Amino acid sequence: MVDTRQRILGATYACVARWGLSKTTVEDAAREAGLSRATVYRYFPGGREELIHDVVTWELMRFFGRLYEEVQGAESLEAVMERGIRFAHRSIVEHEVLQRVLQTEPEMLLPTLTIESNRVRQGIAEFLLPYLLRHGMAEGVDPGRAADFLARMVLSYISSPGRWDLDDPGEVRELVRSELLAGVVVGPEPRADGGGEVPPALDDET
Amino acid sequence: MGAEGAALSIVEPAPGARDPDERTAGASATGADRVSPHRVRIVDAALACLALGGTTKTTVDDIARQAGLSRATVYRVFAGGRDEILGAVVDTELGRLFAALGARMGAADDLGEVLAAGVCEAVTRIDRHPALRYLVEHEPATVLGHLAFDASNRLLAAATGFVAPFLVRWMDPDEACRVAEWATRIVLSYTISPSPETDLTDIDDARRLVGTFVLPGIRALRAPDRSVPIALGPFAAGDGTGPSPTTRRRSTPGQGATDPARRLPFDRKPPHTNRPQGETS
Repeated sequence: MVDTRQRILGATYACVARWGLSKTTVEDAAREAGLSRATVYRYFPGGREELIHDVVTWELMRFFGRLYEEVQGAESLEAVMERGIRFAHRSIVEHEVLQRVLQTEPEMLLPTLTIESNRVRQGIAEFLLPYLLRHGMAEGVDPGRAADFLARMVLSYISSPGRWDLDDPGEVRELVRSELLAGVVVGPEPRADGGGEVPPALDDET
Repeated sequence: MGAEGAALSIVEPAPGARDPDERTAGASATGADRVSPHRVRIVDAALACLALGGTTKTTVDDIARQAGLSRATVYRVFAGGRDEILGAVVDTELGRLFAALGARMGAADDLGEVLAAGVCEAVTRIDRHPALRYLVEHEPATVLGHLAFDASNRLLAAATGFVAPFLVRWMDPDEACRVAEWATRIVLSYTISPSPETDLTDIDDARRLVGTFVLPGIRALRAPDRSVPIALGPFAAGDGTGPSPTTRRRSTPGQGATDPARRLPFDRKPPHTNRPQGETS
């Protein structure tokens, strides 16, 4: 059973998808949600500004929820990162509402995203930490700092791929192994047989 | 907006195509090729206005007044008005940043120091830039529009083009580009979202970060026939300021010690036979 707040946010998102951030009003959201304006204001006393801010963070959290779903089955640190980067990159490229907002009204979105990026980064770091610890750190490398560094880099690559083709599994593997994990961990994930070979490629795993 | 259009001039590869009054960023660094002697004065005036009151207090009138020039003179130099001036501001400041970076990186002797000095210098200058500070505080959307997503790709390309030549002494051009882009990402990340634990305006913090996270990822340092990495700068000397990559071992109990050459991850060569003091569980 979807609670009222979620219902309003979902409706607001539908409006944003249709009309963009600047044009979506409290009235639009209320109508879409089948609720009164008064109800919407009750949940969002800050009015339109609060509603817009919250719908951005709402979709941001949903994005990372989808990302989590995608990677949580991964066995190794390398697989988590490779799969995560590829999926996140694809999701951003294919996110129609995001792309449209970035094209037409980035100033409505970027300040909120930037503020939220600290929280997002912490979330990614917290997610990676157990994988890091399980894998084994290079000596003298603080796991918390390493997780923070990785989270920063992951966010950087998925939002701006630069010279990298993040749809190419080979390139993503190379990226993860050198620029992300090289200084953080030592060698591939330990295996039960004590072998030290390079872990299986991402495409081998599925 | 115009500023963004002009900012593209530093990444577009055809300087010859541009208006002769507005050449490449290299020229803007010194202003030597500029036709008008007033150009730099107007740009600096615009910077002063931005630092004091942001874009709303940086009209052509404000700029002219600050520069001690007439409106007519300003428009003579910058026919495109305010947007063109703001574009020139971006070009000029990037040129100045790159010039300072070049001096600092050119003075360094080893790869670790080049990277640490470059990162430290860049973060410091960006962090302390008066106009940027004002804008970030009061008009974040203005700045962020040039830093997010696709705009960042352009910035990464520009910075890569500038930084990579300083790295080819130690690696092939392709890897130099890769590492240059990586270092730029680090600068951007820590500038936009500072960390309480790592202050990259401090050269020691910068060295620590570079030594820990960056140098191990540089392929050129993994000399396959040697048992130790080469030219790692302060950390190779084991001066105690941070973890030495040459002595890295698995810290998880029960794992075998790793020969320094093997500690470089995902090296597809077979393990060396000379494992150091065995760390059996």
